[in-house]
Amino acid sequence: MAELSLQHIDKIYDNNVQAVYDFNLDVKDGELIVLVGPSGCGKSTTLRMVAGLEDISNGKLLLDGKDITDAPAKDRDMAMVFQSYALYGHMTIYENMAFSLTLRKENPNVIHKKVLAAAEILGLTSQLNKKPAQLSGGQRQRVAMGRSIVRNPKVFLFDEPLSNLDAKLRGSTRREILLLHKRLKATMLYVTHDQTEALTLADRIVCMSMGHVQQVGTPLELYDSPANIFVASFIGLPPMNFFDVTVKGDTLEGNGFKVSLTPEEKQTLAGYDGKEIVLGVRPENITLGNDIPVKVTMNENLGMNTLVHGNIGDTNVHMTAKLKGWFDYSNGDTATFSFDRKHFFDKETTNAIRGGNV
Amino acid sequence: MTQDERTIARDRMRFIKNTQSSRLCYLGILFDVFFFVNIYKSDVGTYYYNFKIGVSIVYNLIFLLIAFLASEGVKNYKNEYSYALLGLGIMQFVRIFILPMQAHNAMTEVNDVAVGVMGNGQFTTVVIYLVISGVALIAAGLINLKKYKELSEHLKSIGETA
Repeated sequence: MAELSLQHIDKIYDNNVQAVYDFNLDVKDGELIVLVGPSGCGKSTTLRMVAGLEDISNGKLLLDGKDITDAPAKDRDMAMVFQSYALYGHMTIYENMAFSLTLRKENPNVIHKKVLAAAEILGLTSQLNKKPAQLSGGQRQRVAMGRSIVRNPKVFLFDEPLSNLDAKLRGSTRREILLLHKRLKATMLYVTHDQTEALTLADRIVCMSMGHVQQVGTPLELYDSPANIFVASFIGLPPMNFFDVTVKGDTLEGNGFKVSLTPEEKQTLAGYDGKEIVLGVRPENITLGNDIPVKVTMNENLGMNTLVHGNIGDTNVHMTAKLKGWFDYSNGDTATFSFDRKHFFDKETTNAIRGGNV
Repeated sequence: MTQDERTIARDRMRFIKNTQSSRLCYLGILFDVFFFVNIYKSDVGTYYYNFKIGVSIVYNLIFLLIAFLASEGVKNYKNEYSYALLGLGIMQFVRIFILPMQAHNAMTEVNDVAVGVMGNGQFTTVVIYLVISGVALIAAGLINLKKYKELSEHLKSIGETA
C-alpha cells in the first residue's frame, strides 16, 4: 500500500528561479505515473523532490497520508533508479544488489533470498558473479532496478532510466519495466522526455512544460483529447499539424484550403463563428481525399507507412501526412488529402475547444 | 542454525568471496613484514654478513609473492592455495628456529666487546610476530579448506560445477 500525494508543490531555487509551479497529483497505490516533457520542464526536479534529494519550497508531500515533506531521503522508503545506473564498479552484481541491505545490517541469509528473488525476476541469475563492466547497458540498468527491488520500497522512482540505451535495447528494457510493474504491482513514478515511453508505460501521464503541469490523464486522453496546443504537439509522432483557420458557418477556412465541419464539430465550435482558431490534425488522421491540395516536398517510406511532407496549395503552410502503405511521391508532385479527426484550439489561450467551451 | 539456514549460508558462498581467509592472509603478511623489519635492526657488526642474509631476503620475497597470490586464490575458494598457506604458515614456525633462535644464542664482538646478537626483548618480539603470522596463515588455509569442501558439496547438490 503506497499512495502518494503531491499538494501545491513549488520549487524555487536560491537564485529565485522557479522550476516547478503548483504541482498537484494524487498517485494511487500500484499506479505507474509518467512525468513527461521537454528538457528543463521540471519533471526531474519534481521527482528529486519526491525522493528527498531536493527541498520542497512550498506545498506538501504525503505518503500514505503521512507528511514526508521535510523527511530525509533515507527515511522515505523510496528507491530511485538513475539514468547513469550508479553501480559500484568494484563490486559484483550480487554485491551491488545486496549493498543497501548490507548497510542496513540485515541478516545475510535474508539478503541472499531477496537478491536471488530479484535476480530471478530480472533474469540476472547467471550474471550475479560478474562486475558491472562485463554487462551490457540494458543489463546494468536491470541491476540498478534489482537494487531497488531488494529494498522492497513503497515507491519506485525512475529518472530517465533508458536514456543511455540504444533504440533496440530501450524497447526491450521498456517492456521489462512494464512487466516488472505488473509483477510487483508497486507504485512507480517515472520521468522521461520520450513520449513513446510515456504512452506505452503509463497508467497516467503528467505532461509538463516550463514547470507547469499541462495535463494529467491516461495515455489515450492525452493522445486523443489533448488539453492544449503544447500537449497536442508533444504527444504523438510525427507531431500534430497546426493550421490557423477561421470558422465560417459549417466550414473552416485556412490559408489555401477549406474543410467542412460535421454537425458535432459545428456544435463544438458554436460561439466561434467568424473567429480565428487553431486547427490541429494528427498526421495519421490525414488520408488521401479531395479537400486539401498539397505540393509534396519530401516522401519518407517507413515500410508500413509513408510520411508525406508538403505545402498546402501555393502557400508556405507546411503539413505532414502519415499514410498507410507505400507511396512514392516525388518533389513537386501534387497530392490531395482530407482530414479525418480534427482538434480545435483557442488561438489566444491555446486551450482545446471542447463542446460548449467558448 | 536450522538446516534451511545452513543451506542458504552455503548457497551464499556462490556469490560471496571468502574474505575471512584472505583477511587472515593479509594479517599473516603484515606480521611477516613486522618480523622482517625487526630481525636485522640491532648493530651486531658483521654477524649477519653471510649467505643466510641473502637467503632470508629471497625467501621473504617468495613468501610475500605466494602469500599475496594465495590471498586472492582463497578469496575464490581455490583449494590448492589452502595447502600453500598451510605450508607457509608452518614455515613461519620453522623460521623461529633458524635466524631468530641462532642469533639469540650467538655472541659477537662489537668494538672488541662480546655482545649477544639478539637480546631477549628483540627475540621475543620477532617470535611473537612469526607466531601470529604463522597462526593467521594456517587459520586462513584451514578455513578455506573447510569452505571449499562445503561449497563443493553444495554445488554438487544443486547440479552446478565449481
